[in-house]
Amino acid sequence: MKKFLALTLSASMALSLAACTGGNTGSSTSGSTTSSSATSSSTSSTSGTGTTLKLWSFNVGTLNEKANWDSLIAKFNETNPDIKVEVEIITYADGDTSLSSAIPAGSGPDILFEGPERLVGNYGRAGLMVDLSDLWAEGGADIAEGIKSVSQLDGKYYMYPLSVAAHCMAINYEVFEQAGALQYIDQETRTWTTDNFVKAMEAVRDSGLVATPGIVYCGAQGGDQGTRALVNNLYSDYFVNDDGTSYNANSANNVKALTLLDEMVGNGSLSANAGFAAAEELQAFANGTCAVTFCWNYSNYTQYAAQTQFTPYAVAFPSDDGQPELEMAGPYGFGIFDNGDDAKIEAAKKFVKFVCDDVTAGTEAVKYTGFFPVHSDWGDIYADAEDADVRAPFAMMSNYLGRYYNLTGGWTEQRALWWNMLAEILVGGADPQTAADSYVEQVNANIA
Amino acid sequence: MAQATATVTRKPGGNKPKETSGMGRALVRRETISGYLFLLPSLIFFIGFVVVPMGICVVYSFLDYGMAGVEGFAGLDNYLRMLSDKTFHKGFINTVLIVVVAVPTVTAFSLWVSSAIYQMSAFTRSFFRCVFYLPVVTGTVAVTVVWKWMFNPYNGLLNQLTGNVGFDWLGNPNTAIWCIIMILFTTSIGQPIVLYVAALGNVDNSIIEAAQVDGATKLQVFWKIKWPAIMPTTLYILVITTINSFQCFALIQLLTSGGPFFSTTTIMYQIFDTVYKYNDFGYANAMGVVLAIIIAIFSAIQFKLAKTE
Repeated sequence: MKKFLALTLSASMALSLAACTGGNTGSSTSGSTTSSSATSSSTSSTSGTGTTLKLWSFNVGTLNEKANWDSLIAKFNETNPDIKVEVEIITYADGDTSLSSAIPAGSGPDILFEGPERLVGNYGRAGLMVDLSDLWAEGGADIAEGIKSVSQLDGKYYMYPLSVAAHCMAINYEVFEQAGALQYIDQETRTWTTDNFVKAMEAVRDSGLVATPGIVYCGAQGGDQGTRALVNNLYSDYFVNDDGTSYNANSANNVKALTLLDEMVGNGSLSANAGFAAAEELQAFANGTCAVTFCWNYSNYTQYAAQTQFTPYAVAFPSDDGQPELEMAGPYGFGIFDNGDDAKIEAAKKFVKFVCDDVTAGTEAVKYTGFFPVHSDWGDIYADAEDADVRAPFAMMSNYLGRYYNLTGGWTEQRALWWNMLAEILVGGADPQTAADSYVEQVNANIA
Repeated sequence: MAQATATVTRKPGGNKPKETSGMGRALVRRETISGYLFLLPSLIFFIGFVVVPMGICVVYSFLDYGMAGVEGFAGLDNYLRMLSDKTFHKGFINTVLIVVVAVPTVTAFSLWVSSAIYQMSAFTRSFFRCVFYLPVVTGTVAVTVVWKWMFNPYNGLLNQLTGNVGFDWLGNPNTAIWCIIMILFTTSIGQPIVLYVAALGNVDNSIIEAAQVDGATKLQVFWKIKWPAIMPTTLYILVITTINSFQCFALIQLLTSGGPFFSTTTIMYQIFDTVYKYNDFGYANAMGVVLAIIIAIFSAIQFKLAKTE
């Protein structure tokens, strides 16, 4: 009997811990079978004529500071005093965990500020979001077609965008200069060819000025767009095929790119670290441990520039023809959760429309993100800014924007497997074609 | 105490006292009620935060349950899926490896250290207990930040000392799991050492002295006298260390995120990943149930080997 009790208690401890892991997610949704019911018990309140909205924002640019949101909300409340907006900042490190716990439990946000990957690909696809077609019809005329296309799924718009930019890479200007590697970069267009990239990295390696010329990070915590863009650009290929029915890492050009990177790791002109996530690579770049970063944009510039004792110089990813195609940083915008309360949904739409379409508030909001407005009619909002020269290279990168793949089915699964494939090839020494074939086979299983 | 006033007689041949008066029965009942009332707060907590979540976990494991809510009854699908899930297989192997390596080494090392320090002066004993207990009270995040810096391929202390700059301890599939086990080891030995020091200190010295007078060697004294005396403590340490090793999660999440190539993915980590990355709550709960069963089996083996009866 004692033994039985002891075993039962042991199992209880384990089971309760496992249950706690998912317990948050399900405590209030048992029996719920529809998307609306999953969020219907949202704790935001509508009392009398006043409506309280919960806005959760990822830490994009300086919108990671509540004071900046408060400034926007104060302006909104000048014309909408009955709508109260409560802001909660979540980070890319743990935001998904918070959302995964809160949404099924009915305590999630009414409005979420992020990009299409989550707003459209995750929550829109799961049927949790409100169709924002009316906002697009009213104010989306001057928004680029590419941004419009990634804001919708099957004809329903789940995101209304605010700002956009391009992900790029950056070099340590002084190290490149001393190593004689600047000659390989077209400083006017901030582009370089694949051949020149190889030569530049070898020059940096031979200079011995840094511990390693560059780090291909393979750790699974974000920043995957950097390594993806690096591989796809080297020989001008795409991550997904033209009609979006298959991932494309095993194409001849992408395998050629993976092979080149493997060779560069082999000869020391690059390193590959499966223990490094993008944040660690960025920190290594800021510390001067490596001379390039593959994960750069204005937001990262604002975060790391103060730590650097050199000039972080933004450049496009190298490509064989010198014509890079960069991935979008964002577009960042708003999605509204379908909480079953029409009054709150209407209030949420008012707020989103105000922040995204009002030129004054919108310009302020875009500047907080550090990116560029999606409304082409707004022009260059940074023209008179003190740091206009710092922003100029990032504005230039927007000229190289390419296709947006992040809404392809099975995106979450492919992200995890992408790191493994990279590490298998660059760290484990696997054959690039075999590893890429295996990766594509696995991720295509989830693409439907 | 009320017991002092109760009139009891012992039934011939029986063990339990039998109340002979109405007043005695009333007192026993009152004490029983009082006992249950004292138990009530922790009972409510236990039921609310252990039993109920356990039940929910089991129920959810049979559901097709994602971000959009419950989409239907899955039957045994979530359990059958584990049979073909290669990541789960890898996680299972890694979990077992961690347990099989960490539990004996933690137990043996703790016993060795405790045997060496339990007869020292009170001050020295306390000093060593503090030293070994420090990683336990230090936050996991702080511990991992320090270890991560030590393992850094370019600036880390380890590579700087060994002249092996560039080697990625946490990024190499052959070394990552051993790094995790080593860090787990350092954070796991504190409590066993404290328990063993106390248990060894409680072994009856007169028996040891008698054995020594009879010519017993140190090994014989340890094996025949101390070891049986500390067996309950050993069993407790084995079970607790086993459960902690099975549930090793924070170190992996903070240091390797389960990589590279799933070489540090454990069942516990996969449960987290399945919930928060893939929002597949039904499957995650099924894995939780399986993990609980595995832990129960391991505990049963330990009880059997320790011959608790």
